[in-house]
Amino acid sequence: MNIFLYLDEDTWFHRLDPRTKIIGVVLLFGVALVFNHPLYMAGIALGLVLLAAAAKALPNFWRMRYILILLVVFSTVLWPFFAEGPTVLWSWGPLEVSRESLMYAIAMGLRLASFVAAGLIFLSTTTNEEFTHGLIRLKLPYPVAFAFSTALRLVPTFAGAGATIVQAQISRGLDVESGNIFQRAGKFIPLAVPLFIYAVRHTNMLAMALESKGFNPGAKRTWYLNPQMRRADYLVLALLTALFLGALFLRLRGYGAVLPRL
Amino acid sequence: MGVAISIQDLSFTYAYAETSRPALRHINGEVEEGTFVVMMGHEGAGKSTLCYALNALVPRFFRGEYTGRVVVHGQEVGKARVAEMSRRVGLVLQDFEAQLFSTSVELEVAFGPENLCLPRDEIERRIDRYLRFVGLAEMRRREPASLSGGQKQRLAIASVLALEPPVLVMDEPTTDLDPIGREEVLTVADTLRQEQRTLLIVDHDPETGVDADQIWLMRDGEIVAQGPPRRVLTDLPLLESCGVQPPSTVALFQALGWPGQPLTVEEAIAAIQEHGLAQPRPLQVPTASTDGRPVILEVCDVDFVYPTRAVKALSGVNLEIREGEFIAIVGQNGSGKTTLAKHLNGLLKPTRGEVLFRGRPVREIRRTEIARCVGYVFQNPDHQIFAGTVREEVGFSLKMAGMDAKTIEERVAEALEVVGLSGYEEEVPFTLTKGERQRVAVASVLAAQPQVIILDEPTTGLDYRHQRSMMEMLRALHRRGHTVIIITHSMWVAAEYAERVVVMKDGRILLDGPARAAFAQEETLAEAALRPPPLLRLGNWLGTSGLTLDDVVEELRAR
Repeated sequence: MNIFLYLDEDTWFHRLDPRTKIIGVVLLFGVALVFNHPLYMAGIALGLVLLAAAAKALPNFWRMRYILILLVVFSTVLWPFFAEGPTVLWSWGPLEVSRESLMYAIAMGLRLASFVAAGLIFLSTTTNEEFTHGLIRLKLPYPVAFAFSTALRLVPTFAGAGATIVQAQISRGLDVESGNIFQRAGKFIPLAVPLFIYAVRHTNMLAMALESKGFNPGAKRTWYLNPQMRRADYLVLALLTALFLGALFLRLRGYGAVLPRL
Repeated sequence: MGVAISIQDLSFTYAYAETSRPALRHINGEVEEGTFVVMMGHEGAGKSTLCYALNALVPRFFRGEYTGRVVVHGQEVGKARVAEMSRRVGLVLQDFEAQLFSTSVELEVAFGPENLCLPRDEIERRIDRYLRFVGLAEMRRREPASLSGGQKQRLAIASVLALEPPVLVMDEPTTDLDPIGREEVLTVADTLRQEQRTLLIVDHDPETGVDADQIWLMRDGEIVAQGPPRRVLTDLPLLESCGVQPPSTVALFQALGWPGQPLTVEEAIAAIQEHGLAQPRPLQVPTASTDGRPVILEVCDVDFVYPTRAVKALSGVNLEIREGEFIAIVGQNGSGKTTLAKHLNGLLKPTRGEVLFRGRPVREIRRTEIARCVGYVFQNPDHQIFAGTVREEVGFSLKMAGMDAKTIEERVAEALEVVGLSGYEEEVPFTLTKGERQRVAVASVLAAQPQVIILDEPTTGLDYRHQRSMMEMLRALHRRGHTVIIITHSMWVAAEYAERVVVMKDGRILLDGPARAAFAQEETLAEAALRPPPLLRLGNWLGTSGLTLDDVVEELRAR
């Protein structure tokens, strides 16, 4: 099972400095937060899809298609009840749906999808170590960054062990699929205990291995990875900043919002 | 040549351990630079602790009572931090999976040199050099998780070698590997020797020790013998008392009173020819047929494809298993052994074809019921042990099946008796030894009284003594009428205990037949990169049809 999204391609996007990618994603989040008009949001979402195509990240979009579709659908169905607009289309007691709230809902769905899309592009093009390294270059202390990246790294390992444990207990007649919620909760003990013990053993071994290879979180160290901010990085950052400021400007002038107060 | 390692009267007792028994007692030893030492001994003999004592994990990481002096290349270990020692001693831990944590092979190797604050071009050079050294140069960009066991272990070795320590210590580097992986790692060890590096390896297999400069034999925290392999490996009672498997060629020669102490099959053949001890004959394999018994499990033309992979894990597999058989499935990792076994109890459903239990499709049998038909013991007992007492652990499947307390009590007692753990009911399973935990896992599957019992690698990670007693227990189960199926990398286990051997390669069955006949086909086995155990290699040459030492001895006496 592979839960990592990194796709080992060689595109201009992959070659960007991780710092650029981290800041870039934050700026893209910002742009998606500015508007709440479905047309503007659709534009942003389309832009992200094109970007994903350029970064060869579309396979991951396909892998995550259900999540993306669910986000849009749920948001479109639920949001109208929580946002109020002037043009009422339908009402029942305290519940009402307006033209504006419906459009807002679609925009929100697209916004969530855009967040996920931006994140997906980032994870598809950035390895765990590059991400960590980017964080360190952005002045995050090394021990924090290392803990963060190791935690990320251990997820698939534990997921793999978890899958084995489930199979082992099923072979002994554990039936996780039947029973009421309390009975089911009780059935997680045979799964949780071995996993917990596995995790403790595993991390202990890892700690020993790290120390044996001279790891000392407080001490100075060098890096094999050596990303450099190049002209392309500055260009991308400048473009994204301009995009963000432009979006902010438009929005403050009253464009791109169906419900201006939200 | 200087002294690489010097140990003077080292004793160590772990703090916070279950027992206050010292893990190491008055260890003395000296290793010359550029020599190769193999440490052997039973589980809990202190081999790992001694490894840790060489790079300061003992006493820095593991606290405890520490007396004596260990000096490695002029540095007293007791006074150094682990990170400092890493420049002098490289340690490859037993569990290679837990040591790899990077997302690419090259970054894994880069980690150590980064800690040493080496400049980038030097790190680059070391990645190149050591990946080439262990034969992984083509894999630089790969994810460590996607490598095979042998490749992972070689990567773990490269990542330690990249620190360029003059001494390399490897704690059971081949235990969890298939025969190919084992071969790969031992080849790396060989190259290291040629480079005149000091090498210490912990291993269970006497074949590894044959080339060593020194063997250190450990028992209960002490070194009981230290010397060249020809002296240590021929002292059979001593080896036995340390829970170490004696070389079968030596055992054979001693049993027959033949002159010489051959450590390898080649030496044995040379000695037999030289002294004219026996005449080779063509091998005649006795045909013991099990065809009369009813078929209990049937695999009909099964294909299987894992959802995330494109390759067929099984393709066109046909297998008939008869009631009361003892079968060993052998083959390399990724050959489909475990995938096949998981079909037998319905954990996996065939992509094409059908698996039948007494003529009934396994896919239609309910989970809770299958545990009573086909029991499956996973490789690592720690993947299933969860309960606070052995009683609760073993009774788990019965409780799941909704049996009453009295029946559970009886069945648990019975299962524990079979595995030799009567009286352990109230013990906490986590505190037992690995061999005992393995037995608890077997008992917990046995308690459901399945007709068929499948065991994935039942002897991996156990020392020789525990391997023997585990297999004797399975033999007893088999005598009681159970159908026993084991998946194993250990050829001597398959040869000595199984009636029938199924060899798998690339998702297909390459060879299937009575054990002796299967092991006679050395060429076919070689296709699956397998080799018969030494005793049978010699037996194939001599034309003996026995599978165990006693049988072969008897046969040769009768000639």
